[in-house]
Amino acid sequence: MRLFRLALMASAAIAGASSLALAAPADDTIVVGFGADISTLDPGEIGSRSDANVAAHIFTTLTRISESGEVSPNFAESWSVSADGKDITFKLQAGRVCEDGEALTAEDAAYSFTRAADPAMKFTGNTPGFVFPSIGYTGAEAVDDTTLVVHMANKNSLAPGFLNEVYIHCKDSYEKLSKDDATAHPVASGSYKLKSWTAGSELVLEKWQDPGNFTNIVFRIIPEASTRTAELMAGNVDIITNAAPDQLDAIDASGSAKVQKVQGTRRMYVGFNQKAKFDTPGGMAIKKADVRRALQYAVDVPTICQQLLNFTCERATGLANPPHDNKDLKPYAYDPAMAEKLLDEAGYPRDANGVRFEMTLQGPRGRYLNDANVTTAVGQYLSDIGVKTTVELYEWSSVYVPMIRAHDAGPMFFLGSGGGLWNAQYDMSDLATVDSGPNYTEWNDPRWFDRWADITKATSVEEEDKIVNEMLKVFYDDGPWLLMYFQPDFYGVSNRVSWTARRDEVIELNGASLAK
Amino acid sequence: MWTYIARRLIQTVIVILGVTLISFSALHIGGDPTFLFVPERASDEQIVEARKRLGFDRPLYEQYASFVINAAQGDFGRSLTHRRPAIEVIGDVLPATIELTLFSMIIATVFAVPLGVLAALKRGTTTDGSIMILGMLGQSVPSFWLGIMMIMLFGLDLKWFPISGHVPLLEPLLTGDFATAFTNLPQSLYYLIMPSVAVGVYSLSRNARLVRSSMLEVLSLDYVRTARAKGLGEFAVVVHHALRNAWLPFVTMIGLEFGFLLGGVVVVEMVFSWPGIGRLLFDAINKRDIPLVQASVIVMSVMFVVINLIVDLIYARIDPRVRL
Repeated sequence: MRLFRLALMASAAIAGASSLALAAPADDTIVVGFGADISTLDPGEIGSRSDANVAAHIFTTLTRISESGEVSPNFAESWSVSADGKDITFKLQAGRVCEDGEALTAEDAAYSFTRAADPAMKFTGNTPGFVFPSIGYTGAEAVDDTTLVVHMANKNSLAPGFLNEVYIHCKDSYEKLSKDDATAHPVASGSYKLKSWTAGSELVLEKWQDPGNFTNIVFRIIPEASTRTAELMAGNVDIITNAAPDQLDAIDASGSAKVQKVQGTRRMYVGFNQKAKFDTPGGMAIKKADVRRALQYAVDVPTICQQLLNFTCERATGLANPPHDNKDLKPYAYDPAMAEKLLDEAGYPRDANGVRFEMTLQGPRGRYLNDANVTTAVGQYLSDIGVKTTVELYEWSSVYVPMIRAHDAGPMFFLGSGGGLWNAQYDMSDLATVDSGPNYTEWNDPRWFDRWADITKATSVEEEDKIVNEMLKVFYDDGPWLLMYFQPDFYGVSNRVSWTARRDEVIELNGASLAK
Repeated sequence: MWTYIARRLIQTVIVILGVTLISFSALHIGGDPTFLFVPERASDEQIVEARKRLGFDRPLYEQYASFVINAAQGDFGRSLTHRRPAIEVIGDVLPATIELTLFSMIIATVFAVPLGVLAALKRGTTTDGSIMILGMLGQSVPSFWLGIMMIMLFGLDLKWFPISGHVPLLEPLLTGDFATAFTNLPQSLYYLIMPSVAVGVYSLSRNARLVRSSMLEVLSLDYVRTARAKGLGEFAVVVHHALRNAWLPFVTMIGLEFGFLLGGVVVVEMVFSWPGIGRLLFDAINKRDIPLVQASVIVMSVMFVVINLIVDLIYARIDPRVRL
């Protein structure tokens, strides 16, 4: 009897206590589960996708990229380009303010640019590290309260699109903030302001101006994928990113959430490293365009996608994401007989052991969807056509990234590169120059790199597009990538909310609402 | 005793030097970490400048010596990823790990003693067998697997406990905000239960078996037979006489226990999204945030050594045969 009473009391305690912690989010709140922590909210330092997804709700930008890839006005109502193409004049919205009441004008916009570009600040974020070099930024100035001029070294028709990644903030407040303060205490110019931030745990934003349907946005940091899935299925989280492929069916069957599978913009490829140090027979072989072309037929990419990613991937024909890719190019078919024939013609027949040449294929572990298995599968396909491949898998951040960034991975390596929705040249800018950092294969074909100057001189969009398509054809025929697929993204979305995932990994919540 | 303490403190310094040297070397095995801290499209000049600014252009021995000298003066450097003093970053998360470790230790010790005693008293019976089987199971099951299973069953299916997250308890206590600590107490304990069980089960199982074997040894001694013969009740015989000697080995284990639990929390903190030093260290290692890794290693080493010192002093106090 005593034991029964104890058990009853324990059950009551548990039932009562469960009400303490397990309530679903309130109707005015949306909760997003991220796998990676947020490290900074300083506009000059923001670099990771997680940081950018939070920052996009706190800060405004001159332009924005829509879900369909259109560059549209945001803080800038309109813009015009000078005759020489080197200056863009933005007409800004009047009457905007920051969360502290300070008026947000062209002077603040100019300050946002100059602060990010200031070498004394030593920022390493996306704005100074990617956007400014990409557009050849040289300066910004306010002509009046609503007119901003951005100066560039050369004509660049992509600049308005690139500037959607420059965060506009108020000058007076940021001049008073130290770098440490700016990291954790942003002053908002967008719809939401920072309400609280518990590092490693959660970050809460509160709406202070339109647009936005939720009063509160909570970003919860949940590193473990199965825990994220469990929180989604339990109704404690509304949206999760990077749902694991093996958990998708469980989410769909839960009755409380559904998976949104989107064709992402991340280009997955196997690089052929042209660096001189790769002087083994295999390394020398892949320096020949006809060998690289032969290997394009060797890998069954659709089967890799279906079996390892549980998805029918969009195949890549080059660097550019659809719909901005070259429509005349078709994905290389899986045709091992063709691969063998081309390798024979290239002067690499099978020897007595059935081997044409040996190869090392390096890949990461735990960075991309099923990356280790994809790399292993590619290695096996190559071995099947006589390219005896040794697969080496490395831990991503502390081993593989330094190798990649030093251009020392190879001779072949598996990698993904983030792309965009809005322009082929944005995607192609990874290989803007022979010396550019993301040119991890050290490819140097002048038929590609010399054409960038032609793009600059083009006098119409049609002319630019023609040059772009010609470049993409060169890349398709003789490029340094074994073209594979665009990585799918899997989002778990609670039935409680109405929200549609984007292809470019941007989490935009202003349009999210409670499901009807 | 003071000589003993001084000797142990000197040993502590040597231990910390050794641990930091090993972790420093391990972090540099993967090559130049500069690339992790510059944008992808950084020019060669920017990379060289960053390497110089971060100090990675200096010889490794110079980098290590510089860190040790600064650390001795209380400067553990700035976290390269959090862009704040490393010790501040650690200070933010350490209370959460201490909460988890302490609660796990409570589970690992408080329940181990009665279970071990019961098994010893009921030796050879079904009770003893059941406790020992559970003990073996507890030692066989990996903590991360147990954590995930508990999440599925108790968090998702039964909805008895929260799946992940943390409500601070120690942090408001340390800052003097007792009102918040009191308000948070029920929720804090509630969030602590599953992760603490996941961390503490292995130690609970081992400790129960240790207490059982120690009790069996003591219960067979003459003085226990004498105590029974004098007519003392079983409770007095077991608790006041037998257990007092039986738990001495167990007390020694507590110091080592703390280090074991501190190491075990890393994975559990990831599974339960517990914002502690284990998760911080895991992320810092992945991102090659060398100052933060070094500072974390020092903090954890100091904690481990100090706890063991305290345990040794307590042991000397309760066992008069031990002289320091």
